[in-house]
Parts: sequence; C-alpha cells; structure tokens
Amino acid sequence: MAAVASTSRPSIASLEAPRLAHYLAVGLIAGAIIALQISVMRVFAVGSWSHFGSLVVSLAMLGFSLSSVVIFAGKDWFDKHWQGAATAALLLIGPLAVASNLVAQTVPFNAIFLVSDPEQKWRLLANFLLYLLPFLAGAFFLGIVFLKSRTAFGRVYFADLTGSGLAGLVVLVSMYLFSPETIIVVPLLLWAAGSLLWFLAFGAWKSVVAGVVVAALSIAGYLMLPGLLGIPDIAVSQYKGVAYARNFPDGKRIYRSVSPFGDLQVYASSYMHFAPGLSDNAAFGMPEVPANTYVGMYRDGDGPEGIMRNLAPAEQVYFRYLPMHYPYVIKARPKTFVVQFGGGISTQAALDAGSTSVTVAESNPMTLRAFRDPILRDVTGDILAEPRLKVIDYDGRLFLANTTERYDVIDLSLADSVGLSNPGGFAISEKYAYTHEAMLSYMHALADGGVVSVTLWNKEEPPKSVLKLYSTIAEAARTFDGQGAANDIFAVSSYLSTTTVLFKRGGFTEAEIKTLRDYTRSMSWEEIYYPGMAYDGSAAQKILDDYRASIFGSGEDATLTQPAADATAPADPTAPANPDCDPTAPADPTLDTCAGAGGDAGPQVLPATALERMAWHALLTGGWEKLASDYVFDARALSNDQPYFAAYVKVADLPRTLDRLDLFQDDWGYLLIWATLGIACITAASLVLLPVLFGWRIVFSRSRGKLGTILYFACLGLGYIMVEVGLISRFTVALANPTVSASVLISSMLVFSGLGSLFAERIFDRARTLLPVVLLAICVLLLAYGFYLSPVLDWIGAYPYAVRLLLCFLLVSPPSFLMGMPMATAMTWLARLGKEHLFVWAWGINGCFSVIGSAAVPIVATSFGLSAVLQWAAIAYLVAIPAFFAVLLPAKAPSVRLVTA
Amino acid sequence: MRRRDFLALSAGAAAFSILPGAARAALPAPYDRNAEVPVNDKKAFIEWMVANRGEDPKFLAERFDRFQIMVYNKDVLDDRNKRAFLSTPREEFVLPQNLGRAYDHAFLDIGYGVTISGPHLVGRMTTVIDVQFGEAVLEIGTGSGYQSAYLANLTDKVHTIEIINPLAQRTRRTYDALIERGYSVFGSVTSRNADGYYGWESVGPFDKIIVTCGIDHIPPSLLQQLKPNGVMVIPVGPPGAQHVLKVIKQQLADGTFNIVRSDIYNGKVVPFVPFTKMEGDQIVGTHNS
Repeated sequence: MAAVASTSRPSIASLEAPRLAHYLAVGLIAGAIIALQISVMRVFAVGSWSHFGSLVVSLAMLGFSLSSVVIFAGKDWFDKHWQGAATAALLLIGPLAVASNLVAQTVPFNAIFLVSDPEQKWRLLANFLLYLLPFLAGAFFLGIVFLKSRTAFGRVYFADLTGSGLAGLVVLVSMYLFSPETIIVVPLLLWAAGSLLWFLAFGAWKSVVAGVVVAALSIAGYLMLPGLLGIPDIAVSQYKGVAYARNFPDGKRIYRSVSPFGDLQVYASSYMHFAPGLSDNAAFGMPEVPANTYVGMYRDGDGPEGIMRNLAPAEQVYFRYLPMHYPYVIKARPKTFVVQFGGGISTQAALDAGSTSVTVAESNPMTLRAFRDPILRDVTGDILAEPRLKVIDYDGRLFLANTTERYDVIDLSLADSVGLSNPGGFAISEKYAYTHEAMLSYMHALADGGVVSVTLWNKEEPPKSVLKLYSTIAEAARTFDGQGAANDIFAVSSYLSTTTVLFKRGGFTEAEIKTLRDYTRSMSWEEIYYPGMAYDGSAAQKILDDYRASIFGSGEDATLTQPAADATAPADPTAPANPDCDPTAPADPTLDTCAGAGGDAGPQVLPATALERMAWHALLTGGWEKLASDYVFDARALSNDQPYFAAYVKVADLPRTLDRLDLFQDDWGYLLIWATLGIACITAASLVLLPVLFGWRIVFSRSRGKLGTILYFACLGLGYIMVEVGLISRFTVALANPTVSASVLISSMLVFSGLGSLFAERIFDRARTLLPVVLLAICVLLLAYGFYLSPVLDWIGAYPYAVRLLLCFLLVSPPSFLMGMPMATAMTWLARLGKEHLFVWAWGINGCFSVIGSAAVPIVATSFGLSAVLQWAAIAYLVAIPAFFAVLLPAKAPSVRLVTA
Repeated sequence: MRRRDFLALSAGAAAFSILPGAARAALPAPYDRNAEVPVNDKKAFIEWMVANRGEDPKFLAERFDRFQIMVYNKDVLDDRNKRAFLSTPREEFVLPQNLGRAYDHAFLDIGYGVTISGPHLVGRMTTVIDVQFGEAVLEIGTGSGYQSAYLANLTDKVHTIEIINPLAQRTRRTYDALIERGYSVFGSVTSRNADGYYGWESVGPFDKIIVTCGIDHIPPSLLQQLKPNGVMVIPVGPPGAQHVLKVIKQQLADGTFNIVRSDIYNGKVVPFVPFTKMEGDQIVGTHNS
C-alpha cells in the first residue's frame, strides 16, 4: 500500500486522499467513455444498423474486464508505475477513438451478407476490435485509478458514476447541436477536459502540454482527416433507405434536423412512390395514381415514410383504394382519432373520408417540427393548419388511456413502419402502440358503435407479426366484450401486402358486414374473418405441419410439393390456379372455387390466408393455445410486459436455426442478441479463468471467500445492468422515445447510485448488519416495481413532458440510490482486509457480468416479460446477501492489516 | 524467371483481371439461341461450350454443378429454361471480387445497394413465368443484367429498365462488350435508364413482367401494361429472404379483370430446401455437416 511512484510528489502519491480536481477528472473521463459509447451507437444507427452497434459497443465494454485481468496479472508493476501507465492510457483514449472510428469506416460490414459472404464476419470482428481500443484505454485508466484509491473507493466510485450519468445528459442535449457525423466531438471534449484537469491536479506541466497537443490533434483529426483522406465521415451502407434516395437522378434533400429523436431527413424525388397496401384494382378503377405526390422522410437513414402533398379533389379517389379507408366505409362523418401521425397518410385519408374532426397524435416532436417548417408546409399544403385537425404532441396511446373524449373511428395504420422491408433485420424494440393494454385503451375510447381500425404489413411467409397482432386484438376484444367479441371483429388481408382488423364497439350489424364484404371484394382483398363466417378446419393440422416443415424440415420431401408435382405450375400460367376443385378447401362460399361456374374460378386458398382464418376462428371460439403451440413461430399477444414484434423463433428451435440462418433474416436482431450473449459468456468465462492460470493458489492463498466474492460481484454486475436496461425499455411507455428514455434512465440511475456509494461510507463500519438489509430492500423494491410499474407509468404518461421527466427521475431514485451502496461497501472492505488482488479482479468480474446481463435482458424480456427482468435482478440481489459474508471473511495471513479509511 | 519478366506478366495478368470483357477473344462460333447445348453430361457440356462459346472451363464446371442442383430442386424444369440457364455466363455479370462465388447458392452485392439474385431464384422465377419465344417481357430493375441475359435466351423481346443511372450505364456497357464478342443474343435486350414505376408504355403491353425492385405496392401502370392473362412476378422482402409474389391478370368472361395473387409455388407451403452441393457427380446436402 506504500508504493510511491518515483515521479510523483509524496502528498498525492497513491491517490488515497484525492482532491476535488481528481474527482472531477475521473468523472469527466468516465463521462467521456459513456459518451463515446452512445456516439458509436449513433454512428452505427446512421451508417448501417443500430442493433449491430449495440453488439459492438456492448462487447467493447468487455475492455473493462480485460484491463482488470491485466492489472491483476501485473499488479506489482502497476503499483510501481501507476502514474506513467495512467498518463499513457489517458493520452491514448482520444487518438484511439479517432483512429478506430476512421479505420472502421474503411472496413464497413454489410449485415445482409453476413451469412452468405464469409468475408463479412471478419469485417464485423474488425469493427469490434477497432472500437474496443479506446474503451480499453479508458478502462486501463479507470482501473489504475481504482487500484490506487482503494481506501477512498466510495468517493472515486461516486465520481465515476456521477460523471457517467451526467455525461448521458450532456450527450442527449448535444444531439441537438451535433450531427451523427460530428457527435464523437462530445466524448473527445469531455476526455480533453478530464485529461487536462488530471494533469493539472498533479502539477505535471509537461503532461499538460502533451495533453493539450494530443487533444487538439485528436479533435482536428476527427473533423478533418476524413476529408483529407477521402474517407467518409460515416460510411453509410448502400442498402440504407436514404442511400437509394441519393442515387435517384433528381433526388434532393429538402430538409434535415438532428436531435436526440434521430437524424430526420426529407428527400424529394419524382422517383418516390408510396401507396401502402394499395389495392391491385386501383389499376383499373381509377384514372391514374397521382404522380409526384410524395416526398420521403428518413429517420437515421431508414425509410422512407411517405409525406403526401395535398391532393386535388379529382385525385382523392386514390384513398378509397388504401386499406386505411376501411372504417370510413361504414362510418359517415365520424369523429376520428389517428394514433400516430407519421408521414400523414392516415390523417389525409381520415380528412378525405369526411371526418368532422380528426385528432392526431405524434410523439416525436421533430416530426411535427418538420411539418411546420415552411418547406414541408408547402409540400403538404400545411396539413397541420387544417381547421378540422387537432394535434396531440405526445403518444396517442397515452392520450386515449387518460381522456374522457369518445371517438367514432380510431385508426392505427402502419405506424413505425416504412413500407419496405429492412435488410439486416429489425432491432428488438418496444411497440407499445400495439399491446393488449393499448388496444383496450382504444376500445374504451370508442363512442357507441365506434370502430378501431388497425392496419399492419403482411409481408411475411410464413406469417409472423400478423398472427401476433390478431392474438393481441382478440385477447383485448375478449377482455372488453366477453362472449360478444366474436361479433365485434372484421379482418381482411392482402397476400404479401397488408392486413386490416376492425373492432366495432357493440358488434357489426348484418348490413355493415355486407357493406364491408362488398368493399373487400371490390378491392380484391381476402376475407379473413367476419361474424358468421363459415369455417372448415379439416386442413388445419396439415397447414401447421407444413409450415413447420417449410422452416425446420429436412427438405427430403421437398419434391413432393415443388411445382413439378403441381399440375397448375408454369405450363399454363393463364389457367386458374385450381382447376381441379379441391373438396378439402375451406368452405367459404365467396371463395369456394367448386361453387364457381368453372372458368372464373379463383385460386385455391393460399396457406397463409387459411392460417389467418384458422387463427381468428381459434382465437374467438377456442383452441388458440394448441394452434399457437403447434405453429412454427411464436404468435403470443403483445402486452406492455412483452411489447415485441420480434423473437418469432421459439427458444427450443434456436439450435436448429444455425444451418439455415438465411431463413431468419427478419429476426436477426433477436438471433444477434443470443450471439452477443454467447460471445459475452465465453469471453467472461475466459476472463474469470485467466487469473487462475496466473496463479490462483499463490496469489489468492491469503484470501478466503474467493468463490463467494466472485458470486457477489457477479450478482451485482448482473443485477445492476438488468435493472438499468430493463427500466429503459419500461420507461419508454411514459417517455415515448427510446433515446430519451435511455438517457434519462442512465443519467438518473448512475447519479443516484453515485450518491448511494457516497452515502455508503456511513455504513462501512456496520456493513455486516446493514448491507444485507440494503440488499433485501433492493430486492423488495425491484419486485414491487416489476408488479406495479406499468399502471404508474401509464399515469405519468398523461402529464406534460417536463413533469413526466421529473416524475421518472423521482421514480428511479429509490432503488438506484440503494443499488449504489453494495459495490462501494464491498470494494472498500476488500481493500480494508488487504485482499488487493480480489479488489482488482472483482471490478473485472462485475464488468463481465454487466455485459452478460445487458445481453440477457432482451432475451428474458422477449421470453418471460419485462417484469421478469426486474424479478431476475431482484433474485441476483437476494443471492448477493449470503455471498457478501464471504467478502467479509478476513484474509488468512497471520498479520491481517486493517487499513482505516 | 527474370524480375522484369515477372513484373510484366503480373501487370498483364492484373490488367486481364480488371478488364475481363475487353481482353477476351471473340466467340469461336456464331451464337445460336436454339443450339442444342448438352444438358445431360458435364464433360460434353464443357467441351461444347469451350468449342462454341470459348468460355472458361472453370466457370463452365461451376455452372453445370449449380445447374444439376437446380434441376434436382426443380428450379428449372423444361429444356428451354435449362439451355437458357446453361447458356448464360453469370460470371460476366458479377463484380470482380465476387467471381469466386459467382455460382454460389447466394445473392451477391453489385454496388449501389443492389444485389444479383442467386442462380436458383433467377431460375425459379424465370421458369415460373414460362416465357415463349416471341413474347414481350418487361423487367423492372435491370441491376447486374443477368436476369435479362437469361431471358434473351428465351425470347427476342426483352425490355429492361434501371432506375440508377450509373448502374444502367455500367450494365449497358457489359451487354455491348458481350455483343461485340459475339453474344449476339443480347441484342434482344433493350435497356433504358428510367423510373420503372410507369412501365414502358410505348413498347407495351407485355406478356410477362418481372419486377426486381422494392416497392410497397404493385405499380398500377405495370398491371395496365400486362396483357390479359399475363403473369408478373415480384420478390417481396429483404434481399436473400424474399418471397416471390406471382400475380395473374385474369380476364373474366365479362371482359373485366381479376388480379390473382399467389406465390410462385402456386399456394403450396414449400419445405425448406437444404443447401446442396456437388460431390463428384453426386448431389449431397450440407445439412448439419
């Protein structure tokens, strides 16, 4: 403990009595690291795909564990040369951040070729290794600081957590000022300030000069090198939506705004055409689809979402051919609510259909700002100023859950959706607008005889998301109307296009059913369900079995159903697809080809359509559980606890995906989480085992309670991160935006935990009795949050945004404060007991299990629900109670030296 | 070998690899669309193609191996399609860095955010629309040009539209270079750089239409330019995970039209086809291996 670096002055030799400047420096550097983490994720979100950014960044955090192991192995050396090592690590953070980001832009990897092109996995690895470097340097610096400030750990840890937390807010605000191309300036500035403060605190003037030069060069290099070297600021994948807009000969960006809500860009081009779900009959029923009607809106380069210009009256017949027109077929002059404004097409359709008033919600303030911008006002004919329109500037779901207003039509059409499929898969993200609770809110907000209309893309074969939608609406309808539900639903779909479900409060009349069916036929859409629809389930099991075989089959029977065996195959494509009347086909009189007059027969009912009919039949009359369990993909309803259109592959089937990964491209976001978890576990296991190779017996011979100590810190690592990531997902309900939710949660949790670790100093001496109480309190709080958070967040969501932020802050504070105490207390006791190697190593264990925990959250959430995430975290804190006593076991050596704090 | 010679040779080899089209010789024999290309024997096929088309035996062997798997999987069915596939030099339409994977069961990047579909998918889609000689075919999304090249072996009226101008120009140059070398068949391909959404009204209507670009609805103009009882195929979904939508413009007895959507398997649930490969003359699955 008496090691003194030769170059340092005695009074500050080992950081055992750090000054304010030291704390500030540590806070700034820790803040720079978290800012870099968020910035790199922005670079990935804009350049390629955000979920690969999460993968790279979360694995880069393993740098902390790696540095801990290295410091562990060379503890004596680091004890002696700590100041030089810290200086070097500190000076390297900035240049490494700049260099790794620059080089990473030259080795972009393309997610969509990950399976088919062997080179891509090496590029992904290169990205990971590159971005690991600055985090590794940062981790070394902080690790050395922790090593040298063992007895003041609580305070340094407070600085570390508070700095990280506040930096989260700094980055959030900075996103208004810096575009993704320049956002890394923020961590660089934090790092520069932290470094200079650090060197100044030591009076190391040469280092101050070196720091200024390195910082200036790094920032200048970051901003100028891409231009000088001809390397893009961010290598935007050619497969991002915005890249296509740039390739159009007349593609022109007419608007851009950067904010925490994303990088929103609007491009104009005559080559853009949107008509989501347009009926094929439009080709013959309307004179011409209006040309030059749209501009395309892109968020973080993904899109486009079509923004429509004001159509001339003659062109407005166009809306009749879109599926969002459905509710207006039976509702004249309705009072309408549009749950999500998006690009405005649903709103236009509602206005066009003669709604007396249209209330429209949009939770993204940047979208509304864009529409109020003069350029887009010109394009849209200033739709937001339309007198019949009322705009709600937060989540429509929350508004409807808390309003006393009642509506004739509530529309949720293709929200959060950009029409084209997303190469590279979708990230696991919460879709709270589509949950059981949301549907119930919509149903409750209906006037008597009012209609909820939900339209979703139906582009999957085998169907996935539409089945989840159906089960969600059916569950909500049954909750709302019990046995009457079967009379409240009307569902249609268009193959590989869209599906629309109508729910009518009080049930459909015969006349309405007829009107809707006539409209469906006139659009050539398929009937999926209506009250009284005949159903023949004789082929049901075969369809379920066939779908399973189509994904997980061996392919041995492939030839049986290939076109060769199909008499209607290419030989005569003009012939009806079902010339031989199939007596086993569903007995729907409108589609039964046997009933037709021969030549005009339609095709046999497609398996996807038959499956959708089966699903509704089972949902409303019983048998859904068996159907869902026999179906190849997960079809469970969305709830606030499991708000995911993702994770379709059932867990038991995961091993069987490995030799056919290309069949699951749209679920890669989910599969990638498993891959992250796997890699994190393997790496963590190696990092835990490495110290054993370095001499468990020799180094640890004096330390008792090793296994218990490992368990304790593993529990803290897992527990803390699971609460953090789990709550970020949860709080999106109230804060309506994942980025804001993440920033607020990270900041408030870390700051309150920092305060907790500072407060922990007061219980150090009575830790044996008090800390178990603290751990138990955390456990109880987390369990309570797991059970009761959802209604509380719904309630918070109805307040103005500033109040919501404040309430969320307050809500997070009690568990966060308590969760700051166990780490600081245990680390300080390890130092007091002279278990120095365990002290270094514990930090690494904690880091490893943080990475594992963050990867485990989405898996637990999609499999068991977000409440389960908090429950698992609660269990981790519970297990930590007995493990804590192992931490307190005195070292074996004869002279146990207690160091007073 | 002296150093100077070595350098000269290397430079020559490098130039050859960069400019494969320009550096290669003309076809040994005039191109005949109806030639009886051997389809039953790999050796005979390679010998015939080397003698008549002067193509690289390495690629010919890969093409024949892929062909056998496609036949096994019923991706190509009739003799016309079989010959068309075997006659189309896919290696001319992929980027130099992907030459080694030209005949893989995979889609490949061709720049501009565009892919060339895997040979199995091209074979399957083309087989499904069953192009007869003399039929007018419209392709939306020229891309690499491979699909149109394949079609040119089936009919003499292939029209193709590409929205991305530099890509349209690059592919046109590929065609022109091949035509110059003697691939006269590609003279049947008319190409233009335009927005395919509006089809090609001045040369329509078409018997068959293939759309290979992402769109959230079927462009009405294309349905209008499809002849009565004509067929259109459109891949839907992300590259590599696409489902192919088949659309028939059915003319009813009263003269009106009914648009029938299905998939290219005519509404069958199709079992997963394992990745197969050739081992010697045997087709084997690579499942779980």
